[in-house]
Amino acid sequence: MSVKIEVGAGGIPHNQILIYGLVGSIVLTYLTYLNTITQTQYFAFFGGLAAVAALIWGTDTIKHLCSYGLGTGVPSAGMIALGSGVIAALVGATTGIFAPIVAVIVAAIIGAVAGVLANHVVRMDIPVMIVSLIELAIVGAMTVLGLAAMVGGTFNFTDLVTGTTTFLGFTIQSYEASVIGGSIIAVIFMLAAIAIQHSFNACLGPGEKQDRTLMLAAECGFLSMIPVAIISFAFIAFIPAIISLVISVVGWFYTYAQYIELSKRDAYAWLDAKPILEPKGGA
Amino acid sequence: MEEIVFGIGITALAGALATVAGAAEDTESDIGSQGDPNSQVQLAPQMGYIHRIFNKAIAGEPPAYGLWVALGAGLAWAFMAMHINPILAIVLGSALAVFVQGVYATTAYLGRTASLAKFGQPVYIDILKSMTTVTMAHAFIAIFATVAMCHLMISALGHPFPLPLLGLVWGIALGAAGSATGNPFYGKERQYQEQKFGAGVPISASGNIVRYAEAGQRNSLDNGFFSAKLGGPASGVCFGLIVFFELWRTVVFEPFAAGWGAVVIGVVVILVFAVIDRYIEVWARKTFGPYTVPEEASS
Repeated sequence: MSVKIEVGAGGIPHNQILIYGLVGSIVLTYLTYLNTITQTQYFAFFGGLAAVAALIWGTDTIKHLCSYGLGTGVPSAGMIALGSGVIAALVGATTGIFAPIVAVIVAAIIGAVAGVLANHVVRMDIPVMIVSLIELAIVGAMTVLGLAAMVGGTFNFTDLVTGTTTFLGFTIQSYEASVIGGSIIAVIFMLAAIAIQHSFNACLGPGEKQDRTLMLAAECGFLSMIPVAIISFAFIAFIPAIISLVISVVGWFYTYAQYIELSKRDAYAWLDAKPILEPKGGA
Repeated sequence: MEEIVFGIGITALAGALATVAGAAEDTESDIGSQGDPNSQVQLAPQMGYIHRIFNKAIAGEPPAYGLWVALGAGLAWAFMAMHINPILAIVLGSALAVFVQGVYATTAYLGRTASLAKFGQPVYIDILKSMTTVTMAHAFIAIFATVAMCHLMISALGHPFPLPLLGLVWGIALGAAGSATGNPFYGKERQYQEQKFGAGVPISASGNIVRYAEAGQRNSLDNGFFSAKLGGPASGVCFGLIVFFELWRTVVFEPFAAGWGAVVIGVVVILVFAVIDRYIEVWARKTFGPYTVPEEASS
């Protein structure tokens, strides 16, 4: 994975995460194109890794945006990110090999419009709003594109709207059995929308640490990959889907264990079946 | 005629499933202090009230249940596409969705609690072990019932949406019903038993949630008992009625005026319920409330 998550005391600057996340997710999404080149489906899992890279970046963006006192707005940030992103991803998918690049550009435009509306029409007047919404829309687009490529083996629109079903022994093309026609894109939308906001929403508070939050972001990404890998059994061949599933489960297990370690490190105390520790001064 | 009778039967069955789903959903979210009880559980340690209440802030209930049900429906759809029997597919899909829900619940509790280290709130691992499983069990019932209901709508009533999309729509509706109907029982009353009924939460009482039980210390399982008694059934009735009336008006009145009959009946149902709700609210305030000026309620 192209995003390193070990951080020192000060944490990684946001711009560095932005570059790693953007480049990482585009490169990883393009690696799924190896499927088209080699006429196989073994590289589908790179789409999921692209989503993980994008989610780590998106989590840091949400942290920056929501540090302006948007406590209850954290889940909404995830929703607007994916709402803008899914449109951009679908527009991008129609352009064949240019899909990731076009998705990024379209998402940036949608994000900018949403940001201008939020700041100047709704008058939220948050300095980082426009930049953050652009970033979030791109993150949403890359996540949807990545997970769609993982489930369908390709980010090509025509392949995402045609599935195959077996009817009376004949294999026929059908819209209903495709990634988009079967509304699997709706599942991806919700998976990514919750994953993108959960890490900061779960870790917010005075003791929030960047490495723990970003580790949780990676965990959410790998966790989202698990059901996507299972759904991909319906679309791609057995062996590629098994590869996706194994990579998701291993990645999830590692990041989950690491996250629990980091929580143990940051917690005030780690108790099992102990009574309430009343503070010394009394409540 | 026979078609309409069959439709009404499916409608009743879907309504019954929805009632079960609503009851389980509210109990699940209250055990996890999700939704609007969450703010006070989150605030309590900062005000010096260390507690043993589960705090799984995943998102609001509507988005969270939108995900669980859409995920359960999506997985069930995929299993059915692999030619697995629908009932087995729905069970497997719901089970996997519950796995995701359980993982989210644990990470939310660990994250929130670890970030409150400054205020001396420890992580109680036994809470994680005992309460996550209970919320997962309730979530399974809620997800399974809702996905089964969506499958009924498609296979028996011929709804044109694919299963995952219908799951998303009804999941959000389920979360919204539980959040709006069930949470006030727990969030505004059970957490604040020291306050007078209907007093709201004044700033001075913020975070002063009930932390000790009749004997020993309260944890979220006690809130589960309470929710199962009042908030859960209320949410169940709410979601059940939503589903029942939604399907009933479509099944019975869609043939009238090219579909507009169902729309008109929908508006009429909303108006009738608005009148009933207003009547009950005014009656309850007159009968039980110590206050009469509405402004006092919103503190």
